[in-house]
Amino acid sequence: MIKVEFYSLLRLLLKLDKLDLPAQENEKVGQLLQRIQRQLPTPFLHKLLDDNGELIPGTIILINRRNILHLDKLETPVQEGDVIAFFPPGAGG
Amino acid sequence: MSGWQGKLLRVDLTAGTCKTEKLNEKWAKDYLGGRGLGSKYFVEEVAPDVDPLSPENKLIMAAGPLTGTYGAANGRYMVITKSPLTGTIASSNSGGYFPSELRYAGYDMIIFEGKAEYPSYLQIHDDKVQLVGAVHIWGKSSQDTEDAILAEFHGDAKVACIGPAGENLVKFSCIINDKHRAAGRSGVGAVMGSKNLKAVAVRGTGGVKIADPIAYREAALESYSLLKQNPVSSEGLPALGTPVLVNVINQMGALPTRNFQKDTFAGAEAISGETLAATYLKRNKGCMGCIIACGRVTGLKGSRFSGDGEGPEYESIWALGAACGVDDLAAITKANYICNEYGMDTITAGSTVACAMELAEKGLISEEEIGMPLKFGDADAMVKLIEMTAKCEGFGEKLALGSYRLAESYGAPELSMTVKKLEFPAYDARGVQGMALNYATSNRGACHVRGYLISPEVLGLPEKLDPQATEGKATWAKIFQDFTAVVDSSGVCLFTTFAIGVPQFANFCTTATGVTYSDEALLEVGDRIYNLERLFNLKAGIDPSQDTLPKRLLEDPISDGPLKGEVAKLDQMLPEYYQERGWSAEGIPTDEKLQALGLAS
Repeated sequence: MIKVEFYSLLRLLLKLDKLDLPAQENEKVGQLLQRIQRQLPTPFLHKLLDDNGELIPGTIILINRRNILHLDKLETPVQEGDVIAFFPPGAGG
Repeated sequence: MSGWQGKLLRVDLTAGTCKTEKLNEKWAKDYLGGRGLGSKYFVEEVAPDVDPLSPENKLIMAAGPLTGTYGAANGRYMVITKSPLTGTIASSNSGGYFPSELRYAGYDMIIFEGKAEYPSYLQIHDDKVQLVGAVHIWGKSSQDTEDAILAEFHGDAKVACIGPAGENLVKFSCIINDKHRAAGRSGVGAVMGSKNLKAVAVRGTGGVKIADPIAYREAALESYSLLKQNPVSSEGLPALGTPVLVNVINQMGALPTRNFQKDTFAGAEAISGETLAATYLKRNKGCMGCIIACGRVTGLKGSRFSGDGEGPEYESIWALGAACGVDDLAAITKANYICNEYGMDTITAGSTVACAMELAEKGLISEEEIGMPLKFGDADAMVKLIEMTAKCEGFGEKLALGSYRLAESYGAPELSMTVKKLEFPAYDARGVQGMALNYATSNRGACHVRGYLISPEVLGLPEKLDPQATEGKATWAKIFQDFTAVVDSSGVCLFTTFAIGVPQFANFCTTATGVTYSDEALLEVGDRIYNLERLFNLKAGIDPSQDTLPKRLLEDPISDGPLKGEVAKLDQMLPEYYQERGWSAEGIPTDEKLQALGLAS
């Protein structure tokens, strides 16, 4: 299984904070996102991706607490046992 | 003048006189207003070695040329003085409605000097200005003070005041305006208290003259559009406020926990922005002219505490929460209310309690001396100690000195998580190298709103940098510090900069004042302000050896989370930073640099 965590506006939008999904062979983060969207009734990808399917500046996706921007971005492989956290752009201070 | 009202108010508290003066036009052009112009007046008039709590220190409340205009979120002002906590020049920022009202009354700034014979407050109704007695409100909370002043002076006035913490000269007391907004850091409230100045109440009925109203309106519309398009300013901050960062920073492994002994907090979810939104949040709230509205209006109904108010913000949740190992959001919110009522900086207050908890953990303070058992995670003890600090009661008298003096008095200054005696905010710089450089070189100590490199290094705005890399961070730090000085001097909220940048600010300043500011000229204003502050600090004895970090951050690797093993690599960045600034290898501004900025004496 892989563990998916939703934070910030995604949690308010989806009314969901966690989701467990079976891992799929050779799946990448971008593909996982599409798979999650197909399972959920509420559209949410537009909070993370632009019209071209690229990450919106400020979107944070962590795999096992590592930012995919410093890995292979949406092409980062997802594996059995991974914890994936999704944060739409947010800031404060 | 346009943009600027062209007038300042000088209040001699010793003599009891109030005079208006023409604003120095050259200085206004070179330093804009707020932090920059206030600092220019301050360094021209106050000796760097002044005792911060003596009548010879001055306290300046300064708005910017954009304060009180529409455009982005233009409701800010700064308080400039010499800090009793750090000994550096202090400039502390706040929003709300008081800053704009000051401008509508016709003033860009107020300079307070001397000391009143007895507790007093200042009443301003346009050009009618007078000092009146405040003995009857001395001792009142910031909220009760405002209510009393509105009842006796003018129901539509806006009020900035100190609470009992400022009267008690707590070294990190703040100035509260509009009941819940704080010029929070560096102890500006104690300076006000030392002058027997309880409050400033202002009612203004005028406007702000704009040099080119049509062009200014276009600039404003562009900024509104950018703010509305940006997901941070249009959605994230209104819905979840600054506490949205609790989970983000914790997941990244940079949330300092138990006085920076750990960097992930098991209780983060319980004190997060998401949890606050689901429990004590009533609604969001904006300052004057703001379309972001990040403020949190909250109430503790249904919890074991009582009270209503505003906040807590992210930094406050961290200081009163994770830093103390406390995962009780109701207790954190209650402690935040106490800080606002008594007028006390939540960051230093919480961090000082966290420091005391580690001193107790290490057996350096006894239970008898504290007056209670004190352990990390004890929410009730945290709330109690915050109140004792504000009242300077018992052990609170020691806490009221801040963490550096507290830890030093027990022979362990290394347990104070400070730079230049100012406590860190809620980001461990061991994992975020540019932020480490900013903390070390900030002119008021460990501050996140002098150069918020968390934005590019962690949040990926405007672009994502590698937080562990050191290369290029000196350049980023200088640009962020200089631009922040501009924002602080314009009267605009720093949060707008998640959506608008230097070109928009240059356009605002040009069309409002009629003085042409190119992007480069505006950043040079920021550079000038930064160097002006640096020169004051050097003369005040804050030498470059203090451009450093606590030993824990430089030598002790992070012990948990995704950043495990990281330390702050300051030595790899500081020489490049000095070079980038045009300073000598020893960190002293060169003659050439000062000549170029018009700062040569």
